[in-house]
Amino acid sequence: MLICDEYLTPASLDEAFAAMEKHRGHYRVVAGATDTLPWARQGRAGDVHIRALIDVAKIPELNEKKTGDRRVRFGAATPIQRFLDDPALGRAMPCMPRCAVWFADDQIRSLATIGGNIINASPAADGTPCLIAHEATVELAARRGGKTARRKMPLESFITGPNKTALEDGELLVAIECDALPGYGGSFEKVGHRRSLVISLVCLAALVKLDSTGRKIEDVRLAIAGIGPLPLRLAEVEKFLRGGPIGMERLERAAAMPVELVASRTRQEYRRDVVRGFMMRGLINAARRAGADAAALAPELEAAYA
Amino acid sequence: MPDLHFVATVNDRKVSRSAKPHQRLLDFLRDDLNLTGNKEGCGAGECGTCSVFVDGVLMKSCLMPVAKAQGTSIETIEALARTGELSLLQKAFHKAGASQCGYCIPGMVMAATAAIRANPFVGREEIKERLGGNICRCTGYQKIFDAVEMARDVQNGTLPATAFAEADAEQGDFIGKNVRRIDAPSKVSGALKYAGDMTMPGMLHVQVLRSPHAHARIVSIDTSAAEAMPGVEGVITSADVPGEDGFGVFVNDQPVMARGKVRYVGEAVAAVAAEDPLAAVRALEKIKVVYEELPAVFDPDEAMYDGAPVLHDYAPDNITMHVPIRVGDVEKGFAESDLLLEENYATQAVEHAYLEPEAGLAYLDHDGVVTVVSPSQNITHHRRLLARILAMPIAKVRFIMSPVGGGFGGKEDMIYQGMLALLAMKTRRPVRLVFTREESIVSTAKRHPSRTNLRMGLTRDGRIRALEMKMISDGGAYGLSTAGVMRKAAILAAGPYVIPHVKIDTFGVYTNNTPSGAFRSFGALQTEFATESMLDVAAERLGLDPFAIRRINAMRDGATTHTKQKLGSVSLLRALEAAEKASGWEAGAPVSRGDKRGDLGRDGNRPPVSLGARFETAEKQQAAE
Repeated sequence: MLICDEYLTPASLDEAFAAMEKHRGHYRVVAGATDTLPWARQGRAGDVHIRALIDVAKIPELNEKKTGDRRVRFGAATPIQRFLDDPALGRAMPCMPRCAVWFADDQIRSLATIGGNIINASPAADGTPCLIAHEATVELAARRGGKTARRKMPLESFITGPNKTALEDGELLVAIECDALPGYGGSFEKVGHRRSLVISLVCLAALVKLDSTGRKIEDVRLAIAGIGPLPLRLAEVEKFLRGGPIGMERLERAAAMPVELVASRTRQEYRRDVVRGFMMRGLINAARRAGADAAALAPELEAAYA
Repeated sequence: MPDLHFVATVNDRKVSRSAKPHQRLLDFLRDDLNLTGNKEGCGAGECGTCSVFVDGVLMKSCLMPVAKAQGTSIETIEALARTGELSLLQKAFHKAGASQCGYCIPGMVMAATAAIRANPFVGREEIKERLGGNICRCTGYQKIFDAVEMARDVQNGTLPATAFAEADAEQGDFIGKNVRRIDAPSKVSGALKYAGDMTMPGMLHVQVLRSPHAHARIVSIDTSAAEAMPGVEGVITSADVPGEDGFGVFVNDQPVMARGKVRYVGEAVAAVAAEDPLAAVRALEKIKVVYEELPAVFDPDEAMYDGAPVLHDYAPDNITMHVPIRVGDVEKGFAESDLLLEENYATQAVEHAYLEPEAGLAYLDHDGVVTVVSPSQNITHHRRLLARILAMPIAKVRFIMSPVGGGFGGKEDMIYQGMLALLAMKTRRPVRLVFTREESIVSTAKRHPSRTNLRMGLTRDGRIRALEMKMISDGGAYGLSTAGVMRKAAILAAGPYVIPHVKIDTFGVYTNNTPSGAFRSFGALQTEFATESMLDVAAERLGLDPFAIRRINAMRDGATTHTKQKLGSVSLLRALEAAEKASGWEAGAPVSRGDKRGDLGRDGNRPPVSLGARFETAEKQQAAE
């Protein structure tokens, strides 16, 4: 059971920082609370008594959204469900709706936030690969000497290990900024013990942009999680594919490249098979959604990795 | 601890009252507003039976601090049938037989309501996806999906509302007819009260202190600090048991709470009744137990060795039950066989995972009758044992069976009702205990893990001449149903097959693991898994079709079983025929054909795991526009 003496719902960043200063060393920040409540149960943290829970989910700045031509910025308290419901976000981030539909379940996505998913820093977090593929940067804020100090850093370097981030004491994750990639085809592949409400064994985000012929890859973004302590951007595979045609042989060569990256604690052999299959499926799905020439994607191949 | 002033609209009514800052929305709705239609199944967002609408969006109320719902409009399952008339979906659930134990159903109905609100033309795949956050342990989901489709079609006018009517059953004629369950309306509306939903005036809340050790002597228990706490009305240990402190189904080896020593992690050691659950939790922290750890044994084979740690004085060999069956002479049978097979098989512990964690309520009635209300699957037996434990005449002990939110054998054991009775007697107040999901998993019986050595001899034409089996089961720390499970395991071990020479030994063994108990099929699964697996191996080795080898050996009408039971009729051949037909079986001996299998890509085969039916709906809509 999670027991607190006070449940605070600051209405602004200033109020949040004031509460954090007041309860320094005796508070926990929650956003959706969907990771925190199950954490405070028998077998994990057990009964936990925290003096103050500081709920940042309703702070307006953490719920803002701005979609520009090159970058899209959204608040850390954006619930995962918004990536399904908001067409502008979906257009700018073509793999995010696909990711969201695999994220927890219909109910939890309405509470769970993208910022919470980042801060929790699970090696199998579903949201992170998509964000990394979109070159996400995190915006952090803290109260230093009475003033709000802000800094930005790439998400890839912000996550430093399983359940570890570069977040400093007294700091809040305020917003995430990503590449806007309209016109890309997006896909998200995930496997776990069941479909809904399951931790990924492997998850992969793929984004593909094709040239006007629908046969040549203009740009590609790939990121994977669940195969080691950190989510990974597959830059070398991207380099290999970028500028080349979409053809079975090339895709298969690309699919084999990240297999050796599997460094999970368990089930490595299984994960290697999954990585190869997901690479094919992810690339084919993303290419198809990017408007690939049907003849370029061998139909039998498409069916095999449907 | 300042309380919150909580203001919201709940089921169209204004609510303005104080709430504890640590309360979850689920606690507030159930405990403070007495809206018990939505249940708690897991407390961790896994099962979905707590799902409610918050400002029109479905949320899991066990994952939502109540403060998050400040100023919102909330709808619980009670909102759907407020006029007294069931909603379309509730009627459809009733008609389709979608509710069994009913415990998941409030959440299922809410999720289904959300699905149809989101997409009035929702297809079956999308229904499955949108109900993905809800778990049902009884139905296998198909009837639930049927119900959602039925409600959708009635709402869209493609199916008349008369579809909900009870069509088939005529006056007094029910056999072979589709009859609607009479308990379904109470389940689909959330009106049915399970034990954890019941309250009584003056009721106290019970929490249990459990053993952290697998095997340890209890040197001392000091409850004085807990008893001195305000709000604590009673603390009990085994010292409070007035009568013969032992219960079980076949052997009464389990005390109400650990007596002298603990035998598994999670065993009850003491219990507290307090004014509120938090006070009871705090009191548990104040109980001082001094343990002296003892060597423990976790492997049933090791437990049978000389010198292994002994769990119960009455069973120095740690054997709870040994069931031998001897028919003919197996050595002679093996000598007559053309094919001799020997294999080892193992099965694991399985948790029943009923959606309703254990819960119970006990009180003394006006005549001093100790009354226990709980989802017990065995109330008359429990009543008889409890009377002895309490040293009371049986007429002064009453058991009431509350609706069982799934049992599957897991609620046959009296593992908490004794504590409730003792606390009701000690405090002279009604007391209620509601297990958490974790507590349920840690402390209650599992399916027996087993190891089986099996030898089988067959003639070239596929006839089984001899079967020899030795199965060792991990019974865990207490007997519970182990004796019966071993008996059933032995009786059914050789399957429904004519075998002239049979030698079977099943052993239930004490270890310091979580106790094993009754679970659907009651032991038959473990032994028949071995026998049936072996028959497939035999079919492969003899070049026979697996169905054929079973037909060759099948008992027929009038057969006598290995334990000399005369069978009037045997349905095995009919069952085989139905299974062969339904499975689309390709006749022939088992061979490995890889991707040349004929059943790949056939209609009805499951496609690869995917999600995203809602995108296809959206794409189709766009295309149509």
